[in-house]
Amino acid sequence: MPLPLYYFLSITAVNVLMSWALYLPYRVTNLHFIVVANMAISGYTAAYMVMNLHIPFGVALLAGFLLGGLIGYVVSLFIGDAPTFAVVIVGFTFIYITRTVIENMKVIGGTLGLFGLPSIGGSPAVHRWIIIAILYGLVLLVGFLIHRFDHSRLGRAASAVFVDKELAASLGVDIKKLGMLVQTFSCTLAGGCGVLYGFIYRSFHLDFFTFHLVGIYMTTIFVGGYTTLWGALILTPILYGVPLLFPSAIQAWRIVIYGAVLILVLVLKPEGFITRRRVASIETFLSRIRKKRNIQ
Amino acid sequence: MRKICSVLLLVLLAAGSAFAQPQVEVKEWTVPFLNCLTGPIAAIGEYLEWGAERAAFEINAAGGIKGKPVKVVGVDTAMDPQKGSVEMAKLVENTLVALGPVPEPVIMAAMPIAVENGMMSFTATTSYEYAVKYFPWTVSWFPPTELRLGVLVAAWAKQFSDIKTVIQFVEPYGPWPGMADAHVKGLTGMGVKVLDKVEVPSDAVTFGPLAVKALDAKPDGIVFVCNAEKIAKIIKELKSRGWTKMDHLLVFSSGDAPELYSTGGKDVDGIQVYNYINPFVDNPRWNAFKAAFEKDHNGMAPFSLSPNYYDALYMIKEAIEKTGVTGDPKKLKEERKKIADYCANVKGFKGIQFNWDMKDGVPTNKPTYIFTIENGAKTLTKEVR
Repeated sequence: MPLPLYYFLSITAVNVLMSWALYLPYRVTNLHFIVVANMAISGYTAAYMVMNLHIPFGVALLAGFLLGGLIGYVVSLFIGDAPTFAVVIVGFTFIYITRTVIENMKVIGGTLGLFGLPSIGGSPAVHRWIIIAILYGLVLLVGFLIHRFDHSRLGRAASAVFVDKELAASLGVDIKKLGMLVQTFSCTLAGGCGVLYGFIYRSFHLDFFTFHLVGIYMTTIFVGGYTTLWGALILTPILYGVPLLFPSAIQAWRIVIYGAVLILVLVLKPEGFITRRRVASIETFLSRIRKKRNIQ
Repeated sequence: MRKICSVLLLVLLAAGSAFAQPQVEVKEWTVPFLNCLTGPIAAIGEYLEWGAERAAFEINAAGGIKGKPVKVVGVDTAMDPQKGSVEMAKLVENTLVALGPVPEPVIMAAMPIAVENGMMSFTATTSYEYAVKYFPWTVSWFPPTELRLGVLVAAWAKQFSDIKTVIQFVEPYGPWPGMADAHVKGLTGMGVKVLDKVEVPSDAVTFGPLAVKALDAKPDGIVFVCNAEKIAKIIKELKSRGWTKMDHLLVFSSGDAPELYSTGGKDVDGIQVYNYINPFVDNPRWNAFKAAFEKDHNGMAPFSLSPNYYDALYMIKEAIEKTGVTGDPKKLKEERKKIADYCANVKGFKGIQFNWDMKDGVPTNKPTYIFTIENGAKTLTKEVR
């Protein structure tokens, strides 16, 4: 596989998964930025396990998922049903705390970072194929799970919470449990993504996990559409890939173009490009084609 | 006779071809520069790019590299590791040698790709501690922090017999805490007591409490290891709380940036600064560089990192010319190695400010300088070797 394609595909997959990690809690109005801190915590932990304790990558990756999930669960006990603003504050605070802790831990490189993560499978080429396989396996699995969630009673309950929490509670929706479920799932996913993110670069630096990432994922779900999982899936490669194709003269205007697109979308199409109605109309169109074929 | 002449002619031709320089295979030498042309440190990226392009301009005016022009192509990473890695992955496919990346997060994301593919890339703005991880496919522009900075800070403290205790303001960013540790070793080695550091948070906006904390420890001298703008603001706070011994304040090299002067104004007059370049060097190359920089930057003097990639491009030129590199894509692997090997152990390299040697990728005899700021400008206090 050509190297640029590998980096493009692997980073795109991480961005898709992380956008979903933000999308899912937002289904119940939680902007759960703690996921970025989870990436760092699990990533650094797994790197330490592999490099210092010589634990196999697979086990370290699993530990990364579990650690993310554990942190997510414990935090969700307190903010499972908290208002959006409180969840945002907790997320930002967590990012700061995580940075400070890592900065002061020399055993994981401190402010310098961690260098020389090993290739999984023994060679760089095998490493790349393993990373791609895991990432796209995850995209399929997580996409399927979120799709099932969106079409289940839980998904409908989440939609009710998004519209009006009190109304949803009066209909028998346990807001806290639902919030805990989506927050824990998001943090689990973010933990695994953090491990894979570092192993793509084969390094860890604190500045891999900054508010810049929050910006990328927020833009993705708000421009792509925050009411379905398809927005993040379709928009991530566009937002990340198209600027790479810009001629250098336009590169300098990239941020201006991003900003303009975001403003335009927020003004003209506040739900983003891919709305639930659009997905429903495509589904109807596809089912009609299927029916026609069956009749013929 | 004709036979002898023919044989002689053949021998001469064979000898000539054997000793001739290999043919250059390129119409133009292209050197990509992975730089931050947009994003939070775009201003620094511009100075770095300017230095590299200035070198290309001079080299081309003097006939190019082996008679072919050289072109520096800026590749913007926007300080984003995601973008930096893809751009580096594109470069390693067919680039002979590159400049950058800048700064540390992008270096850490992109340099492993250069190393894996055996391509030399000059990380000429980062500290030894980062560069050494990517040897032999980069060289360190600075000597090991621990070896150099201790000596330098000790030289500063030696000027003042009343300095018995020192406190440091340290911001936790990249190599900076390591630089602060090197200062501690140098100072304690000469019997100066180093008090507990004052940590400067990266997101700090008010500096009064930090200044109070430092003054409460009653230090005789203060060393600053943080962002230039923050240094200026802390100094203002110190002065407003009665600090008067301005030369007992020492700013580290990364703090010697335009923001120190623009934010500090008259309040930074009298403080001392250490750095790796000396703006008072008097030679035709540096004078021309300085004049051109000032012309292109509204009269501003060259920023301390701006000559780094200027020198790096000249080092590439020298490596190509002295190792018989042809630019032939079929010899890419071998010629990349030639350049890396040459640069790692270059001797007597003629930099814009001084000549230096490299040993296994590390400079062995670069000087450092201590300056005093007077009326918003530096004056040379001493050279430290």
